[in-house]
Amino acid sequence: MSLGRHAHRHAQWLFPAPAVLLVAVIIVYPIVYTGWMSLQEWFASSLTRPRFIGLANYGKILLGDPRFREAVVRTLYFTLIAVAAETLLGVAMALLFNREFWGRGLLRTLAILPMVATPTAIALVFVMMYHPTLGVANYLVTTLGLAPFRWTYSSSTALYALALVDVWQWTPLIMLIALAGLASLPREPYEAAHLDGATARQAFWHITLPLLRPTLVVAILFRAIDALKTFDIIFVMTQGGPANATETINLLLFNQAFSYFNMGYAASMAVALFAIVLGSSLILIKVRRSTAW
Amino acid sequence: MGAPRLSRRTFLQAVTAGVAAGPFVWTPARAQGFTWKRFQGKELFLLLTKHPFIEVLEKHIPEFESLSGMKVKWETLPEIQARQKMTVEMTANSGGIDAFFTSLHVEKKRFWKAGWYHPLNKFLADASLTSPEFDWNDFTPGARAGVTQPDGSISALAAFVDANVFFYRKDLFGAKGLTPPKTLAELEPLVKKLHAPPATYGIVLRGLKNANATQYPSILFPMGGTYLKDGKAALDSKEQAAALEMYTSLLRQYGPPGVVNFNWYECSASFMQGQVAIYMDGVNFASQFEDAAKSKVVGKVGYAVLPSGPGGHFSPIYITGMAVSSQSTSKEAAYLFTQWATSKTNMVRELMAGVGVGRSSTWDSAEVKAKPKMPADWYQAYQASLKIGRQGLPEIVGVTEYRDIIGVAIQKGIEGAPAAQVLAQAQKDFQDLLNRTEG
Repeated sequence: MSLGRHAHRHAQWLFPAPAVLLVAVIIVYPIVYTGWMSLQEWFASSLTRPRFIGLANYGKILLGDPRFREAVVRTLYFTLIAVAAETLLGVAMALLFNREFWGRGLLRTLAILPMVATPTAIALVFVMMYHPTLGVANYLVTTLGLAPFRWTYSSSTALYALALVDVWQWTPLIMLIALAGLASLPREPYEAAHLDGATARQAFWHITLPLLRPTLVVAILFRAIDALKTFDIIFVMTQGGPANATETINLLLFNQAFSYFNMGYAASMAVALFAIVLGSSLILIKVRRSTAW
Repeated sequence: MGAPRLSRRTFLQAVTAGVAAGPFVWTPARAQGFTWKRFQGKELFLLLTKHPFIEVLEKHIPEFESLSGMKVKWETLPEIQARQKMTVEMTANSGGIDAFFTSLHVEKKRFWKAGWYHPLNKFLADASLTSPEFDWNDFTPGARAGVTQPDGSISALAAFVDANVFFYRKDLFGAKGLTPPKTLAELEPLVKKLHAPPATYGIVLRGLKNANATQYPSILFPMGGTYLKDGKAALDSKEQAAALEMYTSLLRQYGPPGVVNFNWYECSASFMQGQVAIYMDGVNFASQFEDAAKSKVVGKVGYAVLPSGPGGHFSPIYITGMAVSSQSTSKEAAYLFTQWATSKTNMVRELMAGVGVGRSSTWDSAEVKAKPKMPADWYQAYQASLKIGRQGLPEIVGVTEYRDIIGVAIQKGIEGAPAAQVLAQAQKDFQDLLNRTEG
């Protein structure tokens, strides 16, 4: 019976153990291993073993590799334009769908469809649509009387063309979260404002938006984390090109690891990306705390 | 006693040795004669790549199974995923792969340095392991060079050999009384005459980085350029600058819009849509051009050897092969498979299906000549290109990284940057790569 008593006494350790073990194996171990690998030089070969080089990889990232620096700026810029556009459009759509009108349920369902589709499949469709001479995108643009674009086929427009795909796919997510936020807003402040003679616009700027802000920050946080890590659509559509015009940190580190087999160097980039994502999340969470009511 | 005394002990030893050696000593034919059934009952695992060569091969694997009495299991993955799987399996030393399909133009030196290829020299010399019909010397010199390492070890048996050729629209050329160019100097004036946008663009070549690196040598080699000089990067030579200038200005002036990010997919699509007069790329894309379901130019495409230049006459070639894994526990059995896969019989089948191979005898085989799948000038251009074949990419460890380096330079060139400037940067990056990975 002593075993049973023993187990009973240590239940607080025993019962969470399987969960802790699982987290350790599938989350903690890979992170620690990546961190350890980032201190090595290793070319993924079975003849040469990893060589410990301390912080040299990080030194190279910070000081010696313009390609990485450009990728950081590009990643942040891509995230900024994509998430800004998604937030504006998403809130606008949420306000629209928050009203009662005929066919709202159907349209709302249609509006969230892009979110459900597989990014790789979407990317392949957009590759065909963006083709400068054979694609439907330029056909539509020219029927509107505009000059055709090069889309992903020019280094000056490629990043925007990719952001457009991201916006198309992920605006519905912001819309959904904003819609949920709108549904939970109290009615009283609006009634009071109405009695005081506030216009609809004033009610939006001074009541809806401030009340919605905490929800929006969460939505933006989700999207920003995802956008910083965007990989599939870029990999499928441009592979980081033309030249390096759309090479984000994730693309660069994928190339370093699986095309060039510089495992250690790629690991240090992964850690850097992790730090950037974590840093931006902390900033956004802080913003949310300071505006909470 | 004068005669040697035969003790009971030595007598027994002799008899035991004789019995043990029996099958080998007494019936030499059985030991040295080649038989496919030697490893009957074994099981092999292959890692294959999605590739026209493999598509044809897969259909006949059951034939190998009944020939050898072995059981064959295999997995076919897209090229990049196959390479990743290979890397994971081999670095983990799993021993799960017996033989694999290898893109030598990318993997040759890296896998060799990593020690993943089992050298086949001894097997090839062993008459009990190599069928008398195999005939190593039937492979073209380019194909043999492509599978042989600097130290002379043979890493694979050449399977598919791709060569860059010149595709052109016979109808457009005929209307203007033009013929394919013999030299690079004739190329630009010709392209200019055919350029009539938006209906027809003069020329298309791959613009997308990395992918473009396999097409660039079609101009670089005849210009006299090389990748390395005395083991050092040679991207800043005069020949390189002239070649990059020609490659990029042709595309900038006469290429379809957006060509800077065209991979072979976009290139061949615009050629098959009839939008382009001239296209230089791997000879094997031709089977799509002659497929009425995909192409609007069926029967209108001419095939020719690439133009020559001041540096000589070359066709960049790219070789894939079947290799035996150094970690396999049944290397000899795996070798039987690679030998069968690249045998004369199989290579004729490949060629009949329109997949080019590096065996001389197959091109003259009666079967191929009786039922040609492609137009006659395709066979002529292909065979002539194999004769002037040169490995299209530098034989270094960091091939992929090199391809990105030159690829970015080409893309910047297409978008208007001066050749000398982009090559200066490429030279620096390439030498840095060589410092890191070679030596």
